[in-house]
Amino acid sequence: MRKQMSLSCSRLSVAYGPRMALSDLDLSIEPGEVRALIGPNGSGKSTALQALAGLIQPTRGHAAIDGTPLRSMSRREIARRLAFLPQQPTAPDEMTVEQLVRQGRFAHVGLFRAYRQDDEEAIRWALQSTNLTDFAGRSLRELSGGERQRAWISAALAQEAQILLLDEPTSYLDIGYQIEVLDLIHRLSREKKVSIVVAIHDINQAMSVSDHISLLDRGSLVFDGEPAELARSGLIEQVFRVKGRFVQITPQAPPHFDVELARWNSALPNDARSSITQNSGNRPPADTTAERTSKQG
Amino acid sequence: MTAARLSGPSVSAWTLPFFALLAIGALALAVFIGVVDIPPSQVVAALTGHGPATARSIIMDIRLPRVVTGILAGIHFAVAGLLLQAITRNPLADPSIMGVSQGATLAVAAFLLFAVYIHDPGSNTLAVLPTEWLPAVGMLGGLIAGGVIYALAFRRNLGPLRITICGIAVGAVLHALAIGLIAGWGSERIEILLQWLSGSLYARSWEHVVFLLPFTVAGLAVLPLLRRPLELLRFDAPIARSFGLSYRLQFSLALALSCCLAASAVGVVGPIVFVGLIVPHLARFFAGRRSSAVLPLTIVLGALVVTLCDLVGRLAGQAEEIPIGVVTAICGVPVLIALLRKVP
Repeated sequence: MRKQMSLSCSRLSVAYGPRMALSDLDLSIEPGEVRALIGPNGSGKSTALQALAGLIQPTRGHAAIDGTPLRSMSRREIARRLAFLPQQPTAPDEMTVEQLVRQGRFAHVGLFRAYRQDDEEAIRWALQSTNLTDFAGRSLRELSGGERQRAWISAALAQEAQILLLDEPTSYLDIGYQIEVLDLIHRLSREKKVSIVVAIHDINQAMSVSDHISLLDRGSLVFDGEPAELARSGLIEQVFRVKGRFVQITPQAPPHFDVELARWNSALPNDARSSITQNSGNRPPADTTAERTSKQG
Repeated sequence: MTAARLSGPSVSAWTLPFFALLAIGALALAVFIGVVDIPPSQVVAALTGHGPATARSIIMDIRLPRVVTGILAGIHFAVAGLLLQAITRNPLADPSIMGVSQGATLAVAAFLLFAVYIHDPGSNTLAVLPTEWLPAVGMLGGLIAGGVIYALAFRRNLGPLRITICGIAVGAVLHALAIGLIAGWGSERIEILLQWLSGSLYARSWEHVVFLLPFTVAGLAVLPLLRRPLELLRFDAPIARSFGLSYRLQFSLALALSCCLAASAVGVVGPIVFVGLIVPHLARFFAGRRSSAVLPLTIVLGALVVTLCDLVGRLAGQAEEIPIGVVTAICGVPVLIALLRKVP
């Protein structure tokens, strides 16, 4: 018997003009599962998320929620089941946090229906979960980048969808808020059985938050499995073209990817250093695994 | 309920009733005051169907229909402007970006030109020209222009910037064509056209009210349907769609409604579109944080602004009254500049 999948796609492909941004993506996400989507810039993470959210028309293949193809559902039907938070979303300037979060209920209230008790509950819960209750009346313009990002997450939460797609939700947040968002993702998946697909740059955050990791490279899925398996595969070094290794820091946590920077090798003998420059090409040293420009981007 | 509680006490709870009263006051003022001095007692008598015949005729056949036409047109322009500013996310949008006034101008100009050959006036008097058709012709022209711009922008996914650029381009072409038509003309038609172009409430009768009212009623009846989509249309399309909005459908509906409101009003009173630009800004300014008050304030202020500006134009010019389009433009520019100082 096949397991019930909350979100799946088969042979999902998207082309921007002649360029294939995503080719033949097959994914299936179980209820309550956290799936991290990683890959270099321009590898198709955002495209995959948007296609999974039904926001771009695939050139081939399809995405489905609970087995129902997205294209046979209305936008409201999709929004009741799936919430999507794009990268760096923008809102009208004078909008307050609460007004933004309220928009998350549109899928439920529609054009006419008055806000009921359960709608108000959902809004309150969404604000609480992101620690924004005290900020409800503030204009989004007055908020810091981190607070604004949390307001958007809050709006997505208010949708009370069983599937949540997040495109780099931790970018532009300081480490404290990054961990808060990661913990929230974990809590939602375990307590509310929400299926979460999160595109994320930081490999270690991806390893620590997810049940499964999908690695994209130039629009194709090159790995799909558990974090520990990815650590053993050696694909990270290959796809991101960096030198590094996975180290086990604590027994219960997944291994930590430790990246090598060129400057640490300056103490090495000359022949060792030249071999590294050959390997990594003519690029500036990366200070993290993720923050670098890519040739595909 | 929660909105009010979470947002804290609002200072602007009295804004809407205040302006509603002001609008009613302005309406009364506009009926009681005019170029011809009629004692207030006679005005009241005329309104209840008594009093001297001249007073009754001035109040019931001239002043009242004119004021009511102005109120309806003001509501049309203001609501159309609000809708367009919201969905194009362009604070300077007004009905002219959908080519409504330019399309109407071209239609009216062409109509006046060809009416000569159909009617064969035989004399130079204005009365011979079929001015009673102008509202319908102007409205049709405005709607066609709006439809063309919509069709051009639709092929490009209705991006807000795309529709603005299409609107400006098509509007410029229509405007040039209208000017070209006018260039080869006799003076009496130019006079009618100029009067129409400057936006005027002069000699507006109950027929004009009857022409406008169905659009006002239908338009305002549809607005509650658009209330939530309008809030969502102010986001980028991907965000609005992931919140569950059928973006294209709702965008098109809002656009169609604003075109209908603006085109019908342009047909009747000419392009006093400046109202459509200014009033939504005023409404947002007075509504402050209470975004739910913006729409009703826009309606009330639209009526108020047109009534007051028309009254000013009538009194300032005495017998040679100043057209309302001129008054709204002159009064509106400083207001707009003051309001936009807050915009980065």
